[in-house]
Amino acid sequence: MQTEGPPLETLTRRLAECPADFLAEPRVGSQGKVHVAAVVSDLMRDLGRAPLTLEQAAVFQSKIQRQDRNRLQAVLIACWLLHDPWFLEQKRFAPQAYNFLSRGLNELAKLTQAQQFITDPDRREELARLCLKELGLRPAGETMAQAQDRLATLNTIERQRVIQAARAAEERARQIRAAMAAEAAREAEMKAMRE
Amino acid sequence: MTGFLPTDRFPLITASGHRLLQRLQEHPHAPRYTHLGYNRLTLAGLQRAHDFLVELQTRAGWEPGEIPAWVDEFVAQCYREAPFYRRDGPPPADFFDLPTTDRADLSREPWAFVPDSQPLDDLIIYNTSGTTGHPIDILTHPDTLALYIPLLQAALATHGVTLRSGPDQVGIALICYQKRTYTYAAVLAVLDQAGFVKVNLNPAEWRSPDDRALFLDDCAPEIYTGDPIAFGELAKLPLRTRPKALVSTAMTLIAGLKQSLEGRFGCPAIDVYSMNESGPIGVADPNGEGYLLLQPRLYVEVLDPDGSACPPGVRGEITLTGGFNPFLPLLRYRTGDYAALEYRGGQPMLTRLEGRPPTVFRATDGRLVNNVDISIALRPLTITQYALHQSADGSLRLRVRGADDLEAVRAALLEVFGSDQRVVVEAVEALGAGSDKITQYTSDGGL
Repeated sequence: MQTEGPPLETLTRRLAECPADFLAEPRVGSQGKVHVAAVVSDLMRDLGRAPLTLEQAAVFQSKIQRQDRNRLQAVLIACWLLHDPWFLEQKRFAPQAYNFLSRGLNELAKLTQAQQFITDPDRREELARLCLKELGLRPAGETMAQAQDRLATLNTIERQRVIQAARAAEERARQIRAAMAAEAAREAEMKAMRE
Repeated sequence: MTGFLPTDRFPLITASGHRLLQRLQEHPHAPRYTHLGYNRLTLAGLQRAHDFLVELQTRAGWEPGEIPAWVDEFVAQCYREAPFYRRDGPPPADFFDLPTTDRADLSREPWAFVPDSQPLDDLIIYNTSGTTGHPIDILTHPDTLALYIPLLQAALATHGVTLRSGPDQVGIALICYQKRTYTYAAVLAVLDQAGFVKVNLNPAEWRSPDDRALFLDDCAPEIYTGDPIAFGELAKLPLRTRPKALVSTAMTLIAGLKQSLEGRFGCPAIDVYSMNESGPIGVADPNGEGYLLLQPRLYVEVLDPDGSACPPGVRGEITLTGGFNPFLPLLRYRTGDYAALEYRGGQPMLTRLEGRPPTVFRATDGRLVNNVDISIALRPLTITQYALHQSADGSLRLRVRGADDLEAVRAALLEVFGSDQRVVVEAVEALGAGSDKITQYTSDGGL
C-alpha cells in the first residue's frame, strides 16, 4: 500500500457497471459458459505478461460446482476490475494480479456471494480496496493508515454479518435436529407403500 | 358401543372408522402388531389430498430440453428458503447449470433441506438405509404421507383399477416379509374411513402361521401393496379372496414374477417406481413400454456422470426436481437409479429402468433373508458404507467403510444369518470406483 493508485470511486463505479459477459456462469465441469482460465489469461496478456501456463490455469478450472462456483464468479468480476485502464497502462501488475486472483481473493469469496461485489456498495468498496492492497496500492488521496483502517472496518462488518447469519441458520438446524430426535420412532404413521 | 374415539392418533376418525379399527386390532387371527397405528391427517391435509387427486389427472409433460413452467419459481424458492441451496449464492440463470445433489448430501444434513418457513409440528422421521449405502432420515408429515393415496389411485387408474373402499372395508394391506418391521392397523380419512393394515408375513409374527391367510381373507383388502419378496410369500398362502390389484414397490418387479402373480391372483401386478425422497415417481404402463410419470410437479432428467442431459433413449442417472414433500424440496437430486427418457406424444416416460434388483439371501438353516433385515441389524453400528455379497456356496463377504468395530459388525450378521454362517468382514477405504453409488446387496442366488 506504499504507492498511490487510482481513485477508489473509479473502481467502484467500474464494478457497478460490470457487463453481463463477466457475470455469466463460470464453466465448472460440463456446466456454465465462461472459461475463467481463458479470461484470466487474456488479462495477463493485457497487463503486459505472457498468457497463463497450463499449471497456472489449473487453479481456475474445477469440476466441483458447489466448492468453486462462487470463487470463480468472483475471479471473473475481479478480472473486469483489473481491466481498468489505470492498471493496463502501467504494464507492471501481472504477477500481483495473478496472486490476487489465484489466492488473495479466496478468503473474501468464502464470505461473500460474488454478485454482491456488483450490487452492494460496501462489497464493491471492499473488493476494490482489497484489489489495490494486493497490488501494493492504496486509493488516491488516502494515507496508508486510512486505507488499512477502512479495509479492516469493511471486512469486520461483513464478517459479523456472516457470523450472525450462520448463527441463525445453526439455531434453525438445532431446532430441526431436536424435533427429529423427539420424533425418532414414528414410522407407524400410515404410509401406503414400501419404498 | 365403541368407546372414546382415539382422536389423538386419528384426528378425523368417525364412529364407523373406530369400529373397523377395533375389528382389525382385536381380530382373532390378527398378527401380533408391533405398534399402534397412526393417521394424524388434518382437515387441511384431507382437502389437499382431494385436490391432489384432481391435479394428478394432468400428466407431467415437457419436450426434450424443455423445463416445465413451475420450475423457475420452485428453484427461486429453494434458494431463498432452504439453507443447503442458499449457501451456493443466487441460482444460475440457466436451470441446466444448477449443481446436482445426491444421497450423501441428504445423509449428511437432512435439516439443511428444510425451508425456513416450514413449521416443524407433527414431524415424522423415516429412517431409510436404501441400497446405495448412505442411510438417510426423511422428514415428512402426516398430511404429506396422505398424498401417497391419491398417487396410488393415479397409478391404479393407468391399469383401469379404481379404489372404492369406504367405511367398514379394508382398502389396502401393505405386506412385508422380513424378520421384523413395524406392523399396525389404521383407518384412513382420505379413503372415507376405510381400513389399512401393515402386516409381516413372517410366521413368527403371528399366533399361528395359518392366521395369515385367515386374517387377510377376512380383511379382503381391495389392493395389496408390498415388495416382490413379500408377494412371493403371499402367493404361497391359501387365500380365497382376490384383490383388484397388487402394487409392487421398493425393488424391481421381474417380468416372470409379475406374470406368475397375475396368474395366481387374477389381477394386475403393477410395478411402481418410488423412493422415500420423492414418493412414487412412475408406474409401469400396461403395455410394458416403460414407466409413466405420476407427479405433474416432479421434473425428471436423465444425466450422464458429468451432469449433462442424456439424449432421449440414452440411459443415465435419474435426477429429480420438485416433489410434494415440503420438508425436502429436491433440486436436481441424483437418485442412483438408471433409465432412459423417451417421449410418447409429448409425454416423457422412463424406459429401461434399472432400479434396485430384489436380492435374496439365505440363512444357514435355508431360511430366506430379506436385505431389509440386514439393514436394520447394521443400522445401530457406526458404519459409513457397506456392500454385502453372498456367494453360491452361501458364504458372505461384507466390505465396509468407516466401521469402528468389525467384530460387532460380524456379530450383527451372525444374529441374522445364524451363528455358523461363514462371514468375511473386510475394512476398505472405498467401495466402487470413485463413486458414492454402489450396489449394496448382491447375491449369486435368484428369487
